[in-house]
Amino acid sequence: MKARINLNVMMSLAIMAVSAYALYASLQWPFKTALFPRVLSIPLFFLATTEMFLSLGRSQKDVQGQAMDFQMTDDIDPALARRRTFMIFSSILGFLLLILLAGFPLAVPLFVFLYLKLAGEKWLLSSLMAVLCWLFMEGIFDRLLHLPFPQGWLFSLWG
Amino acid sequence: MKRLLIGLLGLAIFFLNLLPAHGASYYEGKTITLIVGYPPGGGYDRYARLYAKHLPKHIPGNPTIVVQNMPGGGSIIAANHLYAVAKPDGLTFGTFNNALVLAQLTKIEGVRFDLTKFSWLGSLASDAAVLTVRSDLPYKTVEDLRKVKEAVIFGATSVADTTYTVPFFLKEFAGFNFKMVTGYAGSAPIMLAVERKEVDGRAGSYASLKPFIDRGLVRPLIRSRVSSAEIKSLPIDEDLATTPKGKALMAIRTAPTLIYRPYVAPPGTSAEALKILREAFAKASQDKELLAETEKGNLPIDYANAEECLKIIREVLNQPPETIQEITKYLKFGD
Amino acid sequence: MFDAFIQGLLVILQWHTLAVMLLGIFLGFWVGLLPGLGGSTTLALMLPFIYKMSPVEAFAFLLGMHSVVATTGDITSVLFGIPGEGTTAATVLDGHAMAKKGEAGRALGAVLMSSLMGALIGAFALAISIPIVRPLVLMFGSPELFMVAILGITSISSLSGQEGRSLLRGLIAGLLGLLFATVGEDPQAAMQRFTFGQLYLWSGLDLVPVLVGLFAIPEIVDLARRGKAIAGDVPVGHISGVMEGVKDTFRHFWLTIRCSLIGTWIGILPGLGGAVAQWMAYAHAVQSAKDATDRDRFGKGDVRGVIGPGAANNSKEGGDLIPTIAFGVPGSSSMAILLAAFFMVGLVPGPDMLNKHLVLTFSMVWTLILANIITVAVSLAVLNHLAKLTRVRGSVLIPLILFLAFIGSYTANNNPADLVTFLFFGFLGYLMIQCGWPRAPLVLGFVLGRIVESNFYISTSRYGAAWLHRPLVLLLIGLSILVMVYPFLRFRRGEATGKEAIQ
Repeated sequence: MKARINLNVMMSLAIMAVSAYALYASLQWPFKTALFPRVLSIPLFFLATTEMFLSLGRSQKDVQGQAMDFQMTDDIDPALARRRTFMIFSSILGFLLLILLAGFPLAVPLFVFLYLKLAGEKWLLSSLMAVLCWLFMEGIFDRLLHLPFPQGWLFSLWG
Repeated sequence: MKRLLIGLLGLAIFFLNLLPAHGASYYEGKTITLIVGYPPGGGYDRYARLYAKHLPKHIPGNPTIVVQNMPGGGSIIAANHLYAVAKPDGLTFGTFNNALVLAQLTKIEGVRFDLTKFSWLGSLASDAAVLTVRSDLPYKTVEDLRKVKEAVIFGATSVADTTYTVPFFLKEFAGFNFKMVTGYAGSAPIMLAVERKEVDGRAGSYASLKPFIDRGLVRPLIRSRVSSAEIKSLPIDEDLATTPKGKALMAIRTAPTLIYRPYVAPPGTSAEALKILREAFAKASQDKELLAETEKGNLPIDYANAEECLKIIREVLNQPPETIQEITKYLKFGD
Repeated sequence: MFDAFIQGLLVILQWHTLAVMLLGIFLGFWVGLLPGLGGSTTLALMLPFIYKMSPVEAFAFLLGMHSVVATTGDITSVLFGIPGEGTTAATVLDGHAMAKKGEAGRALGAVLMSSLMGALIGAFALAISIPIVRPLVLMFGSPELFMVAILGITSISSLSGQEGRSLLRGLIAGLLGLLFATVGEDPQAAMQRFTFGQLYLWSGLDLVPVLVGLFAIPEIVDLARRGKAIAGDVPVGHISGVMEGVKDTFRHFWLTIRCSLIGTWIGILPGLGGAVAQWMAYAHAVQSAKDATDRDRFGKGDVRGVIGPGAANNSKEGGDLIPTIAFGVPGSSSMAILLAAFFMVGLVPGPDMLNKHLVLTFSMVWTLILANIITVAVSLAVLNHLAKLTRVRGSVLIPLILFLAFIGSYTANNNPADLVTFLFFGFLGYLMIQCGWPRAPLVLGFVLGRIVESNFYISTSRYGAAWLHRPLVLLLIGLSILVMVYPFLRFRRGEATGKEAIQ
């Protein structure tokens, strides 16, 4: 429970910082340019402050589900949930890194293969999916649509 | 004797084959990338795709040309890429905003190229700018415009765009009673506003206004120095300017429109490749099939070769600092 | 005029026209399904192919392709939680939630049927409005457009949630979205706002990586956390079928009609953009809920949250065509590309299209109708199989979904910086879910930001303060106030009836 409240507080603080910065930046602009950002950032700042104070207050029950949005699945052991969340975010960042280093056409099958293998899938399935993804990348995005994929950093270092 | 002659012939054939590869095999089997600094569907993109289709037959070796869109920063991103990242091997060239010369002149942050150092290929078209007002207004000539009681209202997209700068310059430097309303999402919504009588007229590229002029919605009254057959008789904005400074600024604003669809290759592209490409562009611009499609698609062609383009670029860039200061005040760069 | 109507149908039923239309439908089917192949980009890529076609064929091809994209884009939104298109993001909220409950088939059925009905109503609106369309569009000037955008923003109150606390967060999200929209070069003085010296941000944040990040990443994270298939623990044999969803569309017949009309209307108003219609329809669907507990179901898998946007994003197509054909003003970015097609076949959009070329205009109407009927029929046949994908192990699907999400964000502008945007908004979306902050208002603020600001400046610059007196503006102000306080009225009425029940 407490962890969630703190997250709310932190989010509110972050929004307060963002709106304060927006207001500050707008001071240097001509009137017309600055009007809209000011009209937005001032109420945003106050609303965020309100939200922050409300979140600091008495501990709230499940804040999550109140929004008209989905709710992260709850019925798992929180430690397990935390671990899995960490894993998925690392995978996502890892994918980005792979793309930057090796370029899209190589990164995609590589990532698919690595993820599936590390998730415990069989060799056959992992390789098959990787190959399929590679075909998709090459076939449609490269050959058919000629989309420009910048070279990965590793390759620009090489040649 | 016969054996000697055959021997000499053999030797000759042998040496002929050693000659460096000339045009025909340079582009044989290769793929050329044409980079467009705008998203698909817009004017620059359509010109590019059209030329991508017709250029190969004028390049010995018949290579394939592939169009890649690299939008962003008013095409500065594409220009930067062509300047520093693309390899000068003759396999890449591209097109970007003709107003980039102004961006370079006014030292816009983010500009990392020097237009004079590009290997120029030419420009596909020039663009005339006109000022138009709604037909049902009582203004039929420039004199009428001078005598208006209420300000004539022109719709514009942003202060960096010709929809704004054309009437703005006429207001500042020729004393017309104009008012500009900026914020429209594009030139088409402005035309709707004209029909709605929300604004009185629109200025801008003649090519884009032509359908509305032909339809009778608006009437052209003033044009820029760059002209087109139908509007030749209109008074020129530079002639209406009351000060030399005004004249000069209008001229600088108009200059880039002579090279409205510029095409360049990265700096340092080999002379041989450049020659081939330049010839290809010149020939393609006279290609009957291409011209038939441009007619149909309302894409005027007015090819200017590389020397002409460079001359104009150098003229615009060659300004004394006071003028540059003035230009920065009046001409903004935008998307 | 009636015979032009019939002629329009006959003209597209000719063999070669039908053939190119089917080709267009086939292309559009896959384009909508795959995130990253945007409808407008593909339209632009197809332009060079229409040079050799006659006007009727050209539009049968292009419209056949484009009108289908919104339909199949909904499928990706429902199954994987990735918005297949910018216009199908709203269907992710309830559609994917239903998939997680094992109701993928039902959601797909609902989304398809509502798409079809939306398309039909949009086409119908296009057809009957032809005589009155010009005065109709001319009524809406910049002040009116500004008010419509404000109306859109006030519907944030419906998209936030139940209690006051949710409203507070909804407002924060909405304001944040509006603020994000100001990033880029401002049209009034060409100043760079919040661009931090990055060329990439000059044109502002692009909608696609924002949407894909905001919606896809939290779903992916959730999928990873659960460690199961999308449909989770739902026992085999209980995956409800497509026909159930189809029936739902008819159970909520009037809602479907109303949302289709909203979509059409937003489409008719030029310049509101493609993404707005679905959210306003969604907000309306929420408002149609009977009471507080009924409203609570939205966002968690209510079929009405699927039907509303599903209908609207198709009916918008028909609406979009109206200003495009009648004035040459694009109703959305894809329409701007369609305009190029007009010029390419030698036509000038405007009054001529409604007089001389009336048959062609009607052929476009029929294309919309026919293309959607064919697509829906084909999709319904394969949908039950597609729904089975929700039973596949999460760990197998995740790399694929990530692949689609990454590629989808990249190909928006071919700029790797979009991937950073994608991740940023992905993380933001995740945090918002964790804190119970609704995402819909953020999106709405983001898509409406520019429209609000620009039209405000045009209105005041042109009319001073006089635009506030215009009749249509006053009407819209009233409507906005109504929309804004509606949830509160409902709440108090609910309280009152609650008290009665207790007594």
